Amino acid sequence: MSTKPVLVVHGGAWAIPDEFAERSILGVKNAVKSGFAVLEMGGSSMKAVEIAVRALEDDTVFDAGHGAVLNADGYVELDAIIMNGKTLAAGAVSCIRNISNPVTFACSVLKKTPYVMLTGTGANQFAEKLGIPQVPVEELVTDHAKAEWEQYRKYKQTVKSLFNTELVHDTVGAVAIDCEGNMACATSTGGITNKMVGRVGDTPVIGSGGYADNLVGAVSATGHGESIMKVTLARLILFHMEQDLHTTRSSMCGSLHYCAEVGEQPSLRHQLLPSLPDPVEAFLQVKLQRKLQILLFTIWRRESMDGEEL
Amino acid sequence: MHSSSCCCCCSSFLLFLLPLLLALVWSTGRFSGISGNCRLSAGVGFGSMKPVIVVHGGAGRIFKDREEGARSGVTRAALKGYSILKQGGNALDAVEEAVTSMEDDPHFNAGCGSVLNEKGEVEMDAIIMDGKNLASGAVSAVKCIANPIKLARLVMEKTEHMLLTDHGANLFAKAMGVPEIPGEKLITQRSRERWNKNLEPDSNPQEFKKDPGTVGAVAIDNEGNVACATSTGGLANKLVGRVGDSACIGSGGYADNHVGAISTTGHGESMMKVVLARLILYHMEQGMSPVEAADTALNYMKTRVGGLGGVIVVSNSGDWAARFSTKQMSWATVKDDQLQYGIYTGEIHTSSVAEALESK
Repeated sequence: MSTKPVLVVHGGAWAIPDEFAERSILGVKNAVKSGFAVLEMGGSSMKAVEIAVRALEDDTVFDAGHGAVLNADGYVELDAIIMNGKTLAAGAVSCIRNISNPVTFACSVLKKTPYVMLTGTGANQFAEKLGIPQVPVEELVTDHAKAEWEQYRKYKQTVKSLFNTELVHDTVGAVAIDCEGNMACATSTGGITNKMVGRVGDTPVIGSGGYADNLVGAVSATGHGESIMKVTLARLILFHMEQDLHTTRSSMCGSLHYCAEVGEQPSLRHQLLPSLPDPVEAFLQVKLQRKLQILLFTIWRRESMDGEEL
Repeated sequence: MHSSSCCCCCSSFLLFLLPLLLALVWSTGRFSGISGNCRLSAGVGFGSMKPVIVVHGGAGRIFKDREEGARSGVTRAALKGYSILKQGGNALDAVEEAVTSMEDDPHFNAGCGSVLNEKGEVEMDAIIMDGKNLASGAVSAVKCIANPIKLARLVMEKTEHMLLTDHGANLFAKAMGVPEIPGEKLITQRSRERWNKNLEPDSNPQEFKKDPGTVGAVAIDNEGNVACATSTGGLANKLVGRVGDSACIGSGGYADNHVGAISTTGHGESMMKVVLARLILYHMEQGMSPVEAADTALNYMKTRVGGLGGVIVVSNSGDWAARFSTKQMSWATVKDDQLQYGIYTGEIHTSSVAEALESK
């Protein structure tokens, strides 16, 4: 029996300023259309999430690929992950430079090596071996990212305070289920402004920035990377969902509450946006009262009353 | 009159019961790590928990001529960690000390004695985690330092980040005054020989997976705080920049005062795919014992992704386990002043700490 394909994307959880709001909406819409076109034609969820995240990486309004934020040295270092829910195979890259589409490179790590994660110089050498074009850093850097970097260098802000302002970008990601019921997730980021050279956040760490398992669902996370890592957020949500497929919303709320506590956030206000009509995905947006915003998209498979897959 | 004296008895009885009831409510009122919205971070013991340390020196194929060195190395590491706990030291210091001991020991694939990447260099990954507040520090693909676990701890305590990699990790080490050592100092004759052998045209990359990887430690201190630490040179002849489970929180290790602490070893990619450390703690949250949880997770990893490995576990009540699906894993534990250690399935040697220290 074939499944109705679904694709959900996010462009990062942060206090999106007005001048970026419209572009951000356009950006995620564009990405979801590109990715869904793959699913409509019977393509795989892996391909769909890759295409969707590529679109977000190419869009300078998001902190991934083009438009990524700068590290303490004024350089762009990128992280990404992609995961196949059928086989649990994954590919991840951390701290790579001069590459336009880290998610595609992560996919190459999955398909062309026996490994899950490559980092830094070694990763870049492998990219060169594969013939992935190296782009000059100037092509990836926007004026906005540069301005942000200068501001934070001037005032020596810490990681935590970055999330208290309006100027922080965040990660992009996608989750999908295809017509064969296979799931995938992908996440990509430039990290946080003025991060230490070599800082790796949750994005490429399997179970934190993303996780996909055909038996349960797929997750892509965004927000304060270190907090997400402390609770291995993506995997945590799927643990909740494993306990009871029908309490996903409460599971996500619970997970986010827990994450917020660990990240020293006092409390959550959350609002559930209306579900998409069919089949079952819910889109949970959580706004925290202080500092941390986590936008979390998950999809899962739901079985009908008599056990058949919808 | 009779009823009023009964009332007096009742109220005295209740007053007597009240502190007991309060103690009962307090000790059972700890929410599970998964569903609770209140996080109690203090350990349960307030100084009354019996400390435990468990260490491993890697799951995989340990050659006969290396067995004694492995047994000796893990027991030394466990005893070192235990001496810290016995003096009232914390779990974090204990696991760091135990892992440092094994990084300095050329018998193990961590620090000195690490396997070599495809270019013949040593690149190391390590993680340390504090179960009290879920703080963690990790490094990946770091070179030319003797003790990656110490650097991982510095990442945790001196930065606002949790993982530093490659060149950035080395820059941070320099900024912290960690001495840079020539890469050759970490290379043993053994690791060089294996590297050369693996380069031969008829070598089988699948065989590389069987070599023991990684060292680790988990501990619970007398305040009931748990911690884990894991450190490795990775896979023999790996691609430059390959990062395994040891630097990845939830895969190479995890520690949570609500449940326990884990350190893993084995085929890194398989452990990452199932997020092994976190999976084991999840099973324990569901009520499984450390042994059941470890066996269930290792079996799942074998059937779902075809990977083998080993784990050491300590629960927040001081129960422990050392389990592996490979043929061998060197491990040692100290609890109640008693040392136990082994390599093969079912092999357990026991001695008192006093005897063990004397023989060393």
